[in-house]
Amino acid sequence: MSYTDVDVPNRRDKVQAAFRSFGEVAAAASVLNWLLLFIFFCVLLGAYHIHTMLLMGDWDFWIDWKDRRYWPTVGPIVTIPFIAAAQFFFWEKFRLPFGATFVVLALLVGEWINRYVNFWGWTWFPVNFCWPTEFIPGALFIDCVLLMSRSYIMTAVIGGLGYALLMYPSNWPILAQFHMPVEKNGLVMTLADLMGFETVRTGTPEYIRLIEKGTLRSFGQDVVPVSSFFAGFVSMVMYLIWHFIGRWFSRTDFIARI
Amino acid sequence: MKGHEYRRAGRSALLSISVAVVMGLAFTVIAITSAWAHGEKAQMPFLRMRSVQWYDIVWSKAEVKVGETVEITGKFHLSEFWPDSIGYPKESFLNIGQPGAVFVRKEVFLNGTFVPRAFTLEPGKTYEFKIVLLARRPGDWHVHPVMNIRNGGPLSGPGEYIKVTGDYADFTNTVTTLDGKTFDLETFGLTGIYSWHFLWMAIAAVWVAYWFRRGGFISRCLRVAGSPDVQSADKMISPLDEKIALGFLGGTLLIVMVAFTRTEAALPRALPLQSGLITIAPGDPAMNAPENVLVKYERAIYDVPGRRLVVNLQITNNSNEPVQIGELNTASVRFLNPKVMKDAVKYPDYLLAPEGLSVSDEKPIAPGETRKLSIIAQDALWDTQRLADIYYGTDSSMAGLLVFLGQNGTRHVIEIGGPAVPNYTNIGLLKL
Ligand SMILES: [Cu+2]
Repeated sequence: MSYTDVDVPNRRDKVQAAFRSFGEVAAAASVLNWLLLFIFFCVLLGAYHIHTMLLMGDWDFWIDWKDRRYWPTVGPIVTIPFIAAAQFFFWEKFRLPFGATFVVLALLVGEWINRYVNFWGWTWFPVNFCWPTEFIPGALFIDCVLLMSRSYIMTAVIGGLGYALLMYPSNWPILAQFHMPVEKNGLVMTLADLMGFETVRTGTPEYIRLIEKGTLRSFGQDVVPVSSFFAGFVSMVMYLIWHFIGRWFSRTDFIARI
Repeated sequence: MKGHEYRRAGRSALLSISVAVVMGLAFTVIAITSAWAHGEKAQMPFLRMRSVQWYDIVWSKAEVKVGETVEITGKFHLSEFWPDSIGYPKESFLNIGQPGAVFVRKEVFLNGTFVPRAFTLEPGKTYEFKIVLLARRPGDWHVHPVMNIRNGGPLSGPGEYIKVTGDYADFTNTVTTLDGKTFDLETFGLTGIYSWHFLWMAIAAVWVAYWFRRGGFISRCLRVAGSPDVQSADKMISPLDEKIALGFLGGTLLIVMVAFTRTEAALPRALPLQSGLITIAPGDPAMNAPENVLVKYERAIYDVPGRRLVVNLQITNNSNEPVQIGELNTASVRFLNPKVMKDAVKYPDYLLAPEGLSVSDEKPIAPGETRKLSIIAQDALWDTQRLADIYYGTDSSMAGLLVFLGQNGTRHVIEIGGPAVPNYTNIGLLKL
């Protein structure tokens, strides 16, 4: 739909009549900009947070689930959908290359509120036990790829792969210290395992922990690269699927029907 | 759009946001199960009566200070009448039922084996356990031993209140690594967590702010919509924008790479997370020795109006002393025969029927004697613990531990079990 579709002869006069000066128009636009920023942030935060909790849940919640195999596989695959959709929306409608960073920042703000207020505040799980996964470096990367390439295909392929590959290394500076070994009653445990044992989760018995059990035998010790590359390839596909979902959600033609 | 349509659109937007917020909250609460207390009553009776038969449970203290430990010890017999409908206990985990992280679980031993992870249990066997808890949060906490069984859910043992006094501010929980470094797990690593997350959030916010200040949404949207083709819309990105983006890209990759390699160099001994089933030691052979008092389960009736279970048994005493029936323990409810047994361990009231058991023939069963008799377990607990629902089950059966006491103090704990027929009127009970 464009303005010429509807025959309103004095439309411009009417718009001008709503404001007394150009300054007023600019001020109104500025208020609207901030309002939109706030609304986009909150709506994406709520939706993305639920999506991530449902699909990534325990891997993101607990330190003794952040393993070398499932965590770097599940993390990128389940977080890239909103990135693809948001990148389409912000780039296509506004030529703003911050879709990925914007949604991931919203997600992390939501997760931090949840972890601090609920996990720590209500049930007293220590924050070092339930901090959220860091996704911002990958999001900055994929935003820059979109900006440089100006191509959704390139963003899916290079950006999607890079996004997945960056997850583990950008979290390792936080996580590594929890993988120092301790001995407990003759058993070797990492600090993360020990914290998982000591911090009682009544609803999360140890056996439901889906972590590496030494099953990628032919790849030897290099579990993380294998998992990350796999996640990268799936992320590419997810990116393209969710690009079209983003396209569908960004339609405005239904407004014409209101 | 007219005014009321705006309002309608506004209302539905508000509704969606509220639904999202409420769902988020609800999901979190479910995920971390802060509200546990007495959840076991919601479980069907067959799950509680025919799975883990907890007994001899002792809470070492009723009151502790923050930083002090309390022990829960006891035994359980894994039912020989294990229901078909729940998984074989191949992967089981001895857990604690408590409201949030109020106690730190310092030790859990099963038959003397340390069990921080899952293990396999065998129906028909008896195990002993010891749990050591470190008080962390002041308050009055209801604490249960719980056996989690894959495809069987949480099977809760009896719960008792433990009062924690003192101040959380005094709480520390230190550990020494194999490298000889000592940390307080309560605060360990927090600086790194907060600084890294803050740094990346700040960089992300700067990136978003940079672009937001380049015209915001309204004018950029109008410019994109007004562009005749994609190329002219792309001109909204200036060469300076691209240079700055390149800076962000390079900076991001550099920070990640440097931080990663430095971490690798600083912590070369980082291990992967440890996993896998733990093998449990056989435990004290006396616990699983064959009993010399034999019990044959003949017929049982659950009398609905009378709130009582009547079981006909044939008992053969092959031991060398006279024995008497002292207790029936099912679903952690203890029906005591007051003529034979008193509660010696201050068992939780909500699970204790101190005069709940009577026997049709109280005379001690002499060595070598075989006798038929009925036991009657009668108490309001059948209703309050929702065990009366036994006759709603799909296979209407019960199981429980029958405790015999020998004249010289020997105790025989024997599991009995079998079908239980509901009786809706009092007619017919006399024929027992
Ligand atoms: Cu309780």
